[in-house]
Amino acid sequence: MHLPGPLRPYCAGASELSISAPTVRAALEDLERTQPALYCNVCDETGKVRRHLNVFVNADNVRDLEGIDTMLKPGDVLTVLPAVSGG
Amino acid sequence: MADRVILTIGTKKGVFVADAAKPRRNFALRGPFGPGVPVYSTLVDTRGTPRIYASSCNPFFGMKILRSTDMGKSFKETKSAPAFPKDDGRALANIWSLEPGAGKKDLWCGVEPASLFRSPDGGDSWEMVPGISNHEHARKWSPGNGGLCMHTIVRDGNRVHLGISTGGHYLSEDGGETFTASNKGVGAGFAPDPYPEFGQCVHKIARHDDAPGRLYMQNHGGWAEWTGPGGPRPGIGVLRSDDYGRSWRSIAEGLPSDFGFPIVVHPHDADTVYVVPLEPQTRSCPGAAPAVWRSENGGGAWNRLARGLPKKESYFTVLRDAMDIDQLKAPALYMGTTTGQLWIGREGGEKWECLFDSLPPINNVKVAVV
Repeated sequence: MHLPGPLRPYCAGASELSISAPTVRAALEDLERTQPALYCNVCDETGKVRRHLNVFVNADNVRDLEGIDTMLKPGDVLTVLPAVSGG
Repeated sequence: MADRVILTIGTKKGVFVADAAKPRRNFALRGPFGPGVPVYSTLVDTRGTPRIYASSCNPFFGMKILRSTDMGKSFKETKSAPAFPKDDGRALANIWSLEPGAGKKDLWCGVEPASLFRSPDGGDSWEMVPGISNHEHARKWSPGNGGLCMHTIVRDGNRVHLGISTGGHYLSEDGGETFTASNKGVGAGFAPDPYPEFGQCVHKIARHDDAPGRLYMQNHGGWAEWTGPGGPRPGIGVLRSDDYGRSWRSIAEGLPSDFGFPIVVHPHDADTVYVVPLEPQTRSCPGAAPAVWRSENGGGAWNRLARGLPKKESYFTVLRDAMDIDQLKAPALYMGTTTGQLWIGREGGEKWECLFDSLPPINNVKVAVV
């Protein structure tokens, strides 16, 4: 999982995390267990990915795939990025 | 150490801190802290070693509480922020109010969607207060344009007053265990029933220790001309209670508009109260000429304070938490605008002067003398 700069303080400065998970959902659940401070920044209390964040598998937004049920295969790169914002 | 006047300024792009010696001539500005992230509530906690708190309401990564232990030279996130229990179904959307609790490190926090949280340890851990957060009315409250926010927490011993937009005024007399909707006389213009049990759009509530039963409220006014079901509702915007918030009456007569957001009480005179009347359509001062209005007899009569403020062509809004008054002998008012000016109203608002004229849009201004 590749992380943007603002999220790195919540995982000891790491820019990437290695996660073994069959789906995006499972990857987020792994994050909740192993990196709870980071997880709170990505998902809200209901477990949903925060509204203004986008999660990509390789180059594709999971919104255009199967959402967080999108399957993962070894070597896939999961990227969390904030949406663009105004002034 | 000589007394310092500390201002916290919550803006659309982070929190700023300004301080000055007691004459309040030159304020030094620091910040923004939590840069780029909106701040809707701040608190200068003067119990023990002073601490400054600010909510950092990140639309991307969620809500945080920032804490400074060096009077605003630096801020760090607390160990956690308020969060709903996992099975609750609600998610925190904003943090609207931070107030000191009874214990030395107790904090209270009002959030959106309207709920109350308490921290026993200066913001490192939080628990939802079920008496109001799970009140039987809670799922019936509805958001206004600013969101469904619990923006006001007024504590008076075991009495706790909460202001919710749009939910109304809720009163606890057992330290926050249980709450009752207490809106007799508080009008609503946006519903056929002009005086519902709850659901009013309260904007701010203020009180003074010297008048324990009295409260002042800025409510959502601007309904004098309404001709639909329920008829016109003049004067419902500025209210006073003399029975600890059980019932309310209008004190809006004499104001150019009963719409506005902040309401502030003079620190040394419970009869002196300040509002900023706004035109309901534009949320700017009548005639585009900004003014603060002061009553010195508890709302019986009002006079306009505008010396030093722009005389025309000013369309800013002063939001609900963007005005405060310091505790000095001749207190000064501080008023932040949505166009990024921070004004000081010396001598209780008699003479206004712009301290900073190009800050980001201002949500919140608090002042303390430490």
